[in-house]
Amino acid sequence: MQTLWQDLRYGVRMLLKQPGFSLTCIAALALSIGANTAIFSAANALLLRPLPVEDIDRVVVPVTLREGFDPFGSPFLEYAAYRDRAHCFASSGVATARSFNLTGQGEAERVRGATVTANYLSTLGTKPVLGRTFSADDDRPGGSPVALISYGLWQKHFGGNGDVISQSLNLDGRNYNIIGVMPPGFDLPGIADVWVPLQTDIDSLPLTERAATNNTIVARLRPGVSLGQADAELKAIAHQLEQEYPDFRRGWTVKVLSLRQDLLGDLEGRVHNALFALMAGVAFLLLICCANIANLQLARGVARERELVLRRALGAGRWRIARQLLTENILLAVIGGTAGLLLAYWLLPILVALNPIQGISLAAFFHNFSIDQRVLVFALCVSVLTGIAFGLLPALKGAGAHELMPRIKQGDQRSGGDVAGRRWLKGLIVAEIAIALTLLVCGGLMVQSFQRLQHVALGFSPDNLLTMKMVLPLSRYSEYRQRIAFADEVVERTRNLAGVVSAGMTTNIPLERETAYDAIFDVEGRPSANPNDVPITAHRIVSPGYLETMGVTLIRGRLINKSDRADSLPVVVVSDEFARQGWPGEDAIGKRVRRIRAGQIFPWMTVIGVVKDVKEDLFNYRINRPVWYVPYAQVENNFPLNLVVRTRIDPKSLTAALRDVVRTADPDQPVSNIMTMNTILNSVLVTERFGAVLMGTLALSGLMLASIGLYGVMAYAVKQRTGEIGLRIALGAQRKHVLALFIGEGMKLTFLGVIIGLIAAWAATRLLVSLLFGLGATDTATFCAITLLLALTGLIACYFPARRALSVDPVIALRAE
Amino acid sequence: MKSTELTAEESTNEFAGNGATPLIRLEGVTKVFLTDEVETHALSGIHLDIREGEYISIAGPSGCGKTTLLSILGLLDTPSGGSYALKGNEVANLSFAERARVRNREIGFIFQSFNLIGDLSVFENVELPLTYRGMSAGDRKALVTEALERVGMAHRAKHLPSQLSGGQQQRVAVARALAGRPAILLADEPTGNLDSRNGEAVMSLLRELHQGGATICMVTHDERFAQHADRTVHLFDGRVVEDRMAA
Repeated sequence: MQTLWQDLRYGVRMLLKQPGFSLTCIAALALSIGANTAIFSAANALLLRPLPVEDIDRVVVPVTLREGFDPFGSPFLEYAAYRDRAHCFASSGVATARSFNLTGQGEAERVRGATVTANYLSTLGTKPVLGRTFSADDDRPGGSPVALISYGLWQKHFGGNGDVISQSLNLDGRNYNIIGVMPPGFDLPGIADVWVPLQTDIDSLPLTERAATNNTIVARLRPGVSLGQADAELKAIAHQLEQEYPDFRRGWTVKVLSLRQDLLGDLEGRVHNALFALMAGVAFLLLICCANIANLQLARGVARERELVLRRALGAGRWRIARQLLTENILLAVIGGTAGLLLAYWLLPILVALNPIQGISLAAFFHNFSIDQRVLVFALCVSVLTGIAFGLLPALKGAGAHELMPRIKQGDQRSGGDVAGRRWLKGLIVAEIAIALTLLVCGGLMVQSFQRLQHVALGFSPDNLLTMKMVLPLSRYSEYRQRIAFADEVVERTRNLAGVVSAGMTTNIPLERETAYDAIFDVEGRPSANPNDVPITAHRIVSPGYLETMGVTLIRGRLINKSDRADSLPVVVVSDEFARQGWPGEDAIGKRVRRIRAGQIFPWMTVIGVVKDVKEDLFNYRINRPVWYVPYAQVENNFPLNLVVRTRIDPKSLTAALRDVVRTADPDQPVSNIMTMNTILNSVLVTERFGAVLMGTLALSGLMLASIGLYGVMAYAVKQRTGEIGLRIALGAQRKHVLALFIGEGMKLTFLGVIIGLIAAWAATRLLVSLLFGLGATDTATFCAITLLLALTGLIACYFPARRALSVDPVIALRAE
Repeated sequence: MKSTELTAEESTNEFAGNGATPLIRLEGVTKVFLTDEVETHALSGIHLDIREGEYISIAGPSGCGKTTLLSILGLLDTPSGGSYALKGNEVANLSFAERARVRNREIGFIFQSFNLIGDLSVFENVELPLTYRGMSAGDRKALVTEALERVGMAHRAKHLPSQLSGGQQQRVAVARALAGRPAILLADEPTGNLDSRNGEAVMSLLRELHQGGATICMVTHDERFAQHADRTVHLFDGRVVEDRMAA
């Protein structure tokens, strides 16, 4: 212990003795440990931190899939089948996300909520902070009207008062007794603020309602059952359902996700992969940093060699010397780690601002990238391991001298320096360059992929568009003509506002994070060759003027207009992709299609127009999917209505006027989600932006650290070989020869690093395949550009030390005699 | 009037000695070092002629200016005053590139600590100054082989300096100085790092080279080795205090 204290004191003294060296090391360590800690905090928040769900790793969500890739809500049919047939679940529950008009608590307000079975909350194992959750009795059909409220709603509308239990809550015109308050941050499913019991005998519902895909199932795995086993069992049950209900279930399957993965919207593991890639990126950055500091230590070790050898000559064992050096290095790493922790603390708000995950439940937990105990332990471990990593090699070398006397007397042999020492330095710099190239290629691919995603043709013009959502309650709008009248009035009044260019209504705003409606369709005269091949389209029900307002491009025919009324010919406008799939090589205008739902046959609709493809669907942003637009007047529905307004002024400035318009049409109708189209678009590529910005930054940091490392090694080489340079000049070397000597050596290292890096990058980019869009993992242009960039950086990093070599006075060759 | 703006092609001819003029002529050469506003006169009014084929030693106590004089003779440094003519051409004020070119062709250096480059083999060390001439590989090989044979080190051509004894390393250094067939060999304490047996061997080698026609200027503080030369110039406080021919 005493010797450890002695080593620590000596270590502090050595750090203070060379403040420039110490500060350089601490800055590099702070940068890389800080980046590691910050990214780990994000991974911690998204993947590791406990959520308000009991034993969350055992809770799963069966996601209903169409055509093997498109996620849908689950039907009651599936829930009942899993409940009755699956052996892998200890319990399961189902919920339907919906919204309510909340009245009697100030201005009418639209609140998100859910109807849930009693076992939905018991399966999650979430306990209320006040009161109780639903009992089986609460959930029976005809049960009393009871409700649970969120912690936020309790604070907002009841001031956090404890007497909220048994108070009344008016939802959609019906009074509910509040029986409990859920814990802070809990909002499953779908960012709910209010929960009411389902109170429905699922098995007695008509088949069409049981087959509707608008629910969320949660289930708790039995002990010993794995996710894979549950997935296999549920897939088998889904197959049985396909055979039992071919009209409703043909083409549907299921995938079992962990609740955490489902909450992150990570069906394909993209978030997980992005985080993994980032963690690998910061680890690479740390490796470069370790190599840099090891290089500095080795260079310093050469200077300290006599001291160390003298210590050995005076009786210090090799382990004693190694321990002393390791203690010094770990001390340095812990100081760097502490600085890194401070840097991470400063970086975390930036990460939060990048907002990698949006529109999900439990956002309060997922967005909380704070430094908790786990992050602190991580930072400490990384610091100590870093200290060992960069200190081990210099320590082993420092302690490893066998022949003491020649080393004590060393200094007479001055030309060229320590060849073995330089070999280590060179090896490390080659490793740094290889790692930097790997990082740069990965970062370059992710940044380009993000840019391509950003420049995907949306099919509409997003500037100067304001959107607003309204959910018309069935209690007030029981007849469809009332809905049409409301929509017409709101659109007409909006068009008359100053600053408005046009306005229209739709059931889904493109790319919004809400339930998007799809439809199965049938093309007249073209029966599907494969009964399992069920064509599906994005189903948009729109008012006249909507497509013009969005700036959708008409290719052929016409758009929906006021003549398309309930009593006129059913018509449809289709997207280019729809037309390509429906009538390959033919003109779609005048052809007929119809919707099919659970055995129901809808009327044939005549195609009156073809528009350019529009990115309607967030999940399918990367591909072109068929879309159809049908007139709101012709297709009865109770979907939410979205007003879209194109303005010639700042769209946000019209918010109050639009609220007035709605209030005039219906004083009790709440509005929500008032936002510009650009705001919606900003949330589309959050994960990709997060990955691209961070990976790009990491890659540039890696390039910077590697070039500093190369510069350092070359500068050190120039210093170490001053005598040799003097000799060469004395023997007649011109400036170009000296320049060529050092630039040549530096570039040899650079190219060796580049070759190894290209191989490593080729392997590493395999992991990015699922994250990339519009370019391959082995994109030749990226690989070539990064190689050139590194070669150029290497050249610059070598040039300045080489120039310094030119200033060596050849007299030094004699003076050092 | 001869120009000092020599091109590579011209230099060999320009510097061809004719025997009538001294190979080297220093007239009133001074060297002043300025350190922290203190002037140190390392050399004061040095007049020195070295003729082709001469073997001259420069002797004197430590700090008398021997190494400074050798640096100026070797074009490693420039005099503060006076003139320096090599083969009749003024070289005191040549540019860096011109000095390097003249040094490479006309001067061969032998250093006290051999100054062999540890990473290069014996052959490559000897070849090094020739690589700066733009000579073909074949020509270089012929010259290197000849030089190594002259010093008896041809059999160690592929060895690294660390594999040789001190005496052998100095012989390689002599071969490197010889290989380019310079007008003069400048040796700075060539036996300083050698034991007496190896020191004598190197002095014998220099004597042989001299007898073969080489012009040698050697700095030494050892009177025994100074006696190997035909002529000894004694320096003291930066001045020539004695210039005598061997008996």
